[in-house]
Amino acid sequence: MLTTTPRLYTRRPSPTTAEFTVTTLPPPTIPLRILRVLLLALRVALVLLTALALHARWLSSPYAQPSLPSTCPTGDGWFSMEAVWYALDTLHKSSLGQLVGGLVENVPLVVLLPAAAALCYLLALRVHTTESLLVMRGLGVQTSSSPATYLASATSRFIPTEKIRDIFVNEAFRGFEVRYYLIVVVEGEENVVVVFPRLLPRRSIVETVWRGARACLYESRGGDTTEEKG
Amino acid sequence: MVEHDGLMRVFWPTDVVKFDRPGVVVGWRNSNLDVFVVAVLDDVDARDVEFHIKHGTFFRSSPHTPSHAFELCGHSSMHVLGISNPTDPSAMNPSWLCAVPSSSRRSPRITCAKASSVQLIMYNRPRPKGMQYISLDPIALALDYEGSDTRHPKTVGPDSAEEKQEKQAHEQRQKLVEKLKQHTIVKRVPSARDKALAKIVNQVNWSWELEQTLQKNVGRLGPRPKRSLSVSQQVVESAATMRNYVLQQLLEIFTLYLFPTIRQIFVSLLTLHRLVAEAFLVLLEFRIKPGRPALKDVSATAQQIEIRLQQFCYWPMQYVKLRERKSNWASINTSHPDYIRFYNSLWLVANDVIIGLALGSYIIDHADFVASAVEGLLKTYTVDALQSSILWLTGWPAGLKLNDELAAFLGDLFLWVIDYWASKYLTRLRDKLLTMAIDCVETLGPFLPKIVWFIGFSSFAGASMPIAMVSDMLSALTVHIYSFYLASARIYHWQLVILQSLFHLFRGKKHNVLRNRIDSCDYDLDQLLVGTILFTLLFFLLPTVVVFYLNFAVARMIIISLKAVFDTMLSCLNHFPLFALMLRLKDPRRLPGGIRFELRDTLVATSATGTVTEPPTSVIYLKSVPLSFTAMFNQYFQMAHRIRKHYLSPSVLLCLLTGRFVPPIDRRNLYSLQYSMLPAKRATVGEMWKALKVEKKTPNATQYPVLPKLPTLPGRRMGRTRSGL
Repeated sequence: MLTTTPRLYTRRPSPTTAEFTVTTLPPPTIPLRILRVLLLALRVALVLLTALALHARWLSSPYAQPSLPSTCPTGDGWFSMEAVWYALDTLHKSSLGQLVGGLVENVPLVVLLPAAAALCYLLALRVHTTESLLVMRGLGVQTSSSPATYLASATSRFIPTEKIRDIFVNEAFRGFEVRYYLIVVVEGEENVVVVFPRLLPRRSIVETVWRGARACLYESRGGDTTEEKG
Repeated sequence: MVEHDGLMRVFWPTDVVKFDRPGVVVGWRNSNLDVFVVAVLDDVDARDVEFHIKHGTFFRSSPHTPSHAFELCGHSSMHVLGISNPTDPSAMNPSWLCAVPSSSRRSPRITCAKASSVQLIMYNRPRPKGMQYISLDPIALALDYEGSDTRHPKTVGPDSAEEKQEKQAHEQRQKLVEKLKQHTIVKRVPSARDKALAKIVNQVNWSWELEQTLQKNVGRLGPRPKRSLSVSQQVVESAATMRNYVLQQLLEIFTLYLFPTIRQIFVSLLTLHRLVAEAFLVLLEFRIKPGRPALKDVSATAQQIEIRLQQFCYWPMQYVKLRERKSNWASINTSHPDYIRFYNSLWLVANDVIIGLALGSYIIDHADFVASAVEGLLKTYTVDALQSSILWLTGWPAGLKLNDELAAFLGDLFLWVIDYWASKYLTRLRDKLLTMAIDCVETLGPFLPKIVWFIGFSSFAGASMPIAMVSDMLSALTVHIYSFYLASARIYHWQLVILQSLFHLFRGKKHNVLRNRIDSCDYDLDQLLVGTILFTLLFFLLPTVVVFYLNFAVARMIIISLKAVFDTMLSCLNHFPLFALMLRLKDPRRLPGGIRFELRDTLVATSATGTVTEPPTSVIYLKSVPLSFTAMFNQYFQMAHRIRKHYLSPSVLLCLLTGRFVPPIDRRNLYSLQYSMLPAKRATVGEMWKALKVEKKTPNATQYPVLPKLPTLPGRRMGRTRSGL
């Protein structure tokens, strides 16, 4: 429900510049938005819970400072460090805190720390994948792809027009199916650049992008819009 | 009047968004409809600006000649590109653009009579004074990526087979790509606009300084100031002149008399130091025969000393090169990687010394404790553990029924050597290193505190020194394990080979060496009988030999991995890209890793009120991509790859299983990382002397303005220069 099959949308403010984006993000509707907000809240809550568990484990170790202020700060002390410590203390004393503390108390650190790190990584994973191809006549093409987690930034690769040898649709076996994919052959490089490498959208999308990209990148001379290589 | 595809490409700086006055747009015209905007000059006449640009008025007072800028940007002069906020758009040159600031967007509105569509590319000006720049290719932190390969073209050992395989795969790929290229039907000729990209990158890098120059000198075009200076201003001015004059005189005394002397002394000291370093380097690089390893290839300490000396030799040259940067435009960015390399190596050495001081003072203060700990470790692991494991092997280990007699013989043999190693000593040489190599553990005992003290003292030259020494000491003190490994491997290998040929005999065959194949052979009965008996004997003795061999092979592998840990620590201390990492956090624009474009959403211009209708415009932001962390640590990845290929390959496993010698990885191969920061061939003493001498002259040549400078008051300056014209 959160994702769809890869779909294409195109932005083309002027005839010589176009951005083709393939994404698994479904068109926004109100239930979807609510769901996404809920998912985000769940993620944040789980991360906080992991932090709480780690803190409980720290408190049970002999290195921790034993005394926590247990008096409730009043007035403008609400935003001080003491208030934070007090809130943590009450959290630890609540039934949830007791449960979490009891769970992690006897887990060895060798298991606990990697498990916490893995959990945090899993919670930071993105649900949707977005990949795009920006075509600018006279400059070149740029492929970019959204990162796997929320922590990293998007990666992009710019190929100047001078270095583009050709753009075409290729086919390959993947498992038991045939996939059509768009590639850019770069001058002087032994690897071709695959556009939309993670999503590998359907043939119709690839074909649309291919036609659009060629029309956008090169001046139309007629006669070279129907060719395709397999 | 539309050109063939009518696409106009405009590069526009992001900091020019508010220009309310009518003005002139100045920049580079790369081709007819491909323009690069450097500055918008307010309140001037376009024809006036064009005239002065042609005659170079703008650059008359600049400290450096503008020819560098013109050469790198690919034009002989700047151009007038158009008008901003025109009062009368119809009177313009048709190829000029017309720029109007837009209230709703961050980008201006561009129109041109010849253009049917517009690509408006907004760029951030990199600050050349802060050493920011953009580039198409990632900045090269290493001196040259291929340096390691060109310097040591031939590698020996099992690597060659893997390299051959790699080369084959590479060729296969090349062929595939060639085939792919044949699919291309139409070979497109790149237009002038396509080729301009490299030029545009330079223009972006230069735009800040050029804009500063233009804006500073735009006043020269303006009208003469009406007002003369008031009395108070004149008083201030003469006081400032006096102060400047005194300061100038003081500076002159310093530069003319004091500074050259200090400089001369410093240069002589440097050269002296260089001579001593040269002597040491010659000693370290001396080879008995051309193919034989030099001292630096054998010992980690020697290699460490060599790296430091090489760095000391390289620094003056690097510094001289960096000083040249100051005497030219700041936008020239060819020396920025050198700058990063220079300060990275300085910082690493300083870090090394700081860590070394802490380590050294600890070791010296606790020399006795450290010595006893080291002795305990040595005794436990290289003597006692080995002895107990051999004893265990002689007495049916893990329920394996080995041959008692052979096990006892082998065990006694090794135990005897260990005893000898541990308790007696051969020679007592003054030379500590030789002593360590030949001497044995207990003789070492009394000397150990002194050695530890020496190592501690050496760490004042950097923490890498004691690590290298410990690495060397480890190989010296485990010579016995190494020799056991060699001996047992040899025995095991022989036995395997004999078993193989006897097996052929058992089957009535033999190995034909000439044709490298198995032939049938008619053996006599007695030959067959003896052969079979020997085969059985050797076959039943094999497990005993195997367990001894495995024992020592495992010990050897542990030592090799320990040394690998030391080597990794050394390479981290010597070549960690600390400065680059810091720059990446502080100012990522100083480490360009390429460029990236971002298409912005443009609101459809509903210009109901506007007098000019806007052609379809796409607004693109040009951004610099900072260098990725993987590119920063590329050298480390390469080294890890090389080690993995050497030690974790199937051929090494086969060597281990059949008892053949596993060759240690070539130090030169491992340390290609180290040389990526240093030139392949160091400058000779004469070259360094010359470079330092030349550098001495350059500042003198520019520091001879005898007349005191006048304070810069805008009105006054304009008047003077105007009258000078």
